[in-house]
Amino acid sequence: MDMYNFHPYSGGGKIILALLLEMGRINPSDELRDIVYKCTECGACAISCKFLNTLEPLEIIMKLREKLVDAGCGPMPKQQEYIDSVKNKNNPYNEPHEKRLDWLPEGIKLDPNAKVLYYVGCTSSYRREEMAIASVRIMNEAQVPFTILGDDEFCCGSPVLRTGDTKTFQEFLNKNLDMIESKGIETVVFSCAGCYDTFKVDYPLYRKYNFRVLHVVEFFDELLESGQLKLINEVPLTVTYHDPCHLGRNAEPYEEWEGDVVDLMPLVSINMPPKPKKTGAKGIYDAPREILKKIPGLKLIEMERIREYSYCCGAGAGVKSAFPEFALNTAKTRVQEAEDTGAKILTSACPFCSTNLQDAIKDRGSKLKFYDINELLLMALGLETKSLKKKMAEVA
Amino acid sequence: MTLDKEILTEFVEIVGKENIDDGEVMTNAYAYNWCMDLFNHMESKPAIPFSPIPKAVVLPSSTEEVAQIVKICNKYGIKFKAQSTGLGPWNQPSTENSIIIDLRRMNKIVKIDEKNLYAVVEPYVSGAQLQAEIMKYGLNCHMPGAGPQVSPLASATSMNGPGFTSPSTGHSARNVLGVEWVLPDGEIMRLGSRGLKNNRNWYNGDGPGPSLRGIMRGWAGAKSGIGVFTRVAVKLFPYPCSTKFKLKGCSPNYDFDIPDFMRVYVIDCGTFKYCEKAMLRVEEEEISFMCSHLSGFAVMAIFATSIEDLMDKMAIGSMKVPLVVIIAARTTREFEYKQKVMSMILDEMQLTNIIGSLYTPNPIFYAEALRSNLGLHGFIATGGFQSTKGVCDTAAICLRSEQKNIPLKKKYIKTGAIANDFGEGHWMTSYESGHYFHVEAPTMFDQTEQSSVEGMADYMEASNQMDLLKHLGAPFFVEGDKMHETFGPHMMNYHKWLRKIKQAFDPNDIADSGFYISRKEK
Repeated sequence: MDMYNFHPYSGGGKIILALLLEMGRINPSDELRDIVYKCTECGACAISCKFLNTLEPLEIIMKLREKLVDAGCGPMPKQQEYIDSVKNKNNPYNEPHEKRLDWLPEGIKLDPNAKVLYYVGCTSSYRREEMAIASVRIMNEAQVPFTILGDDEFCCGSPVLRTGDTKTFQEFLNKNLDMIESKGIETVVFSCAGCYDTFKVDYPLYRKYNFRVLHVVEFFDELLESGQLKLINEVPLTVTYHDPCHLGRNAEPYEEWEGDVVDLMPLVSINMPPKPKKTGAKGIYDAPREILKKIPGLKLIEMERIREYSYCCGAGAGVKSAFPEFALNTAKTRVQEAEDTGAKILTSACPFCSTNLQDAIKDRGSKLKFYDINELLLMALGLETKSLKKKMAEVA
Repeated sequence: MTLDKEILTEFVEIVGKENIDDGEVMTNAYAYNWCMDLFNHMESKPAIPFSPIPKAVVLPSSTEEVAQIVKICNKYGIKFKAQSTGLGPWNQPSTENSIIIDLRRMNKIVKIDEKNLYAVVEPYVSGAQLQAEIMKYGLNCHMPGAGPQVSPLASATSMNGPGFTSPSTGHSARNVLGVEWVLPDGEIMRLGSRGLKNNRNWYNGDGPGPSLRGIMRGWAGAKSGIGVFTRVAVKLFPYPCSTKFKLKGCSPNYDFDIPDFMRVYVIDCGTFKYCEKAMLRVEEEEISFMCSHLSGFAVMAIFATSIEDLMDKMAIGSMKVPLVVIIAARTTREFEYKQKVMSMILDEMQLTNIIGSLYTPNPIFYAEALRSNLGLHGFIATGGFQSTKGVCDTAAICLRSEQKNIPLKKKYIKTGAIANDFGEGHWMTSYESGHYFHVEAPTMFDQTEQSSVEGMADYMEASNQMDLLKHLGAPFFVEGDKMHETFGPHMMNYHKWLRKIKQAFDPNDIADSGFYISRKEK
């Protein structure tokens, strides 16, 4: 909305578009597709709509995309390339599936019988390897037995789902769940906020599973609390933290509700018992902040818009690939907010945010430096970090 | 209907191609608005929530751009409809030969003059945004009943403008100072002190020469039918209580520390006559921040944040004629004085405050009262509501209007078209410590049910007719030719003067008058 101004680019405007489509006043078209896909599905509109009412604009936006895909009018061509790649190569980057483990450094201890699985994800495997490398080093440091799926790991389906291809999404959901369940895994840990959100919030809408899902910030904070990880180094940096949408407001799972809609009088009904609202308040906000606060010498300064009201980095839901300028301009706004805090370091916990915010830092000529939160943790643990960053990367 | 390429090019030259759109999807989306279905039905059109589709939507960024757009409209005989925060059918074009000027890029708070107590705002600044900034100076603004999400500029220049805090912050018509106005022919007019050659400031709404405030907006505003307002100064008021309060938690479960020096009273007056007496008595003492008479059902609604929450409050819903008073103060002494006065009135009139005994509001209520968010609670029960009535008169006339409306409302409740508030759902507030009063009848209906939409529209028509036949004053939706020509002959032929204003200010009939008055009698 901030970038295009016309009302249909807002959450409310998208609801109007859905109504127009349902009433047959408009048909699927390139114009409609362009508006519907110029949205990061960040969910901020859905949070705003929760006070006094129960509107779900994010769900409507996702349904609109599904309708456009079903009508042969979506997604955007660049996004279709990613979907085709997921179908053909199990990742959106058109990378060979057999190279999915190329990021894994020598000397990392894996335990094939472990009950903890580190689900790496496509972006950390092929584009933001530093996040995967940092994650496994930290788990080794904590002496946590864990395994990875390697060739048996497939795209979580997030880039496919968010652009409206729910059928392909379900194929990948089933492939991943079949594989994880066959190995008797009890806990799955993610460094990618997108994969985490997809497993935690979207998968159960289609198929239930019995393992626990944790983002590394939750997992590592637990390890810090239990003393399995010990922070020995001072990290004298002033840091501000960006809440990824996939780890924050959108990572709040739906609460199961079994009740009745009771008609009290004509036109007035209530849910008995009251139906829980998904407000975004139960996203993962405290764990990353707790980690940062525990790092000796590190000073955390908050931005104005944080937690469920955080501003999106601009990369989500296929925007970075289909509308790179939109993504970059959004990230530049967020980087400006980070600069305004006076912090020297911007950190986050999502490979998409990482890429887009770093692109914005570069484009703005900002003096900020970006570190993934795991990199800061590595510094505090006294582990080597220099070899982590190899290249600037594209993301789906 | 699309724009000719030649005309489109001229608009593009003004705003750039990224700020004009004449696409089918875009223009259809801008044809939607809340409650358009009601007004369509009242005009004997299909009860759908869409107006005529505009030819294009233009997003100017300055007064000069607005003026140029309007001049092009004059050149090619295309009507324009301007909108800011855009809530309601009044923002919609009445003809397909129209463009929408969406003013959302004009979103700056231009000036806060904390010494002279006014702020200058552009159209897309919301009340909430303005309030957040002026609170830093210990100041507050008048917020229309529609809520903090709407534009103070629109309310000040183009709409009616009562609000929950009207006892202490007045009425939008009374709060407007200097104005910048693009007339229907594209000329830029500056009203009040803004029009002075020297000292072109915003502090005064009248002069130089005769004041044009009445012509500009009158009682209910012209809804873009007399041009486009691009900047306006509005009065500010001292914040009613301490601004040092904490809001914790997250939506919708905020935790709010009730600020120092704020207290709510909910009193059952028993009868309408006694309510009038109590309201006048409270207002005579000039102590209230808010002083509203609501129905029992409406009191339940303002304290609730969901339908389930609403139904928990049946104990207060049984009150016969409730009065809600909020007092607020900036010092202990002022607070003690106001509480003493309230105690004296309650003793004198043998009335009881139920707050603290029968009911204790959630602290978020106080935050919503300060934010002027209470009107939005009308949406809780059915998802849709609209008001009838809206007279501005004495307390006695307002209460008479309410009493007369109850049987009518009950009739439509029986049909199942509108939700059952026992027919009593009304809201009445004083303006400026009881100098005059406003009453309206918020009514809940279901926008997703055709029969409910049509029934609600029929009820609104019947309510308007009742206002006319029972001499209850004009409703605040007295707008458009049909309504003006119905009410005008009974109200000193005001409509003839309104038409003369339209003729004088809009020689080419370019400002869309669907919710104002047309140049020619039909």
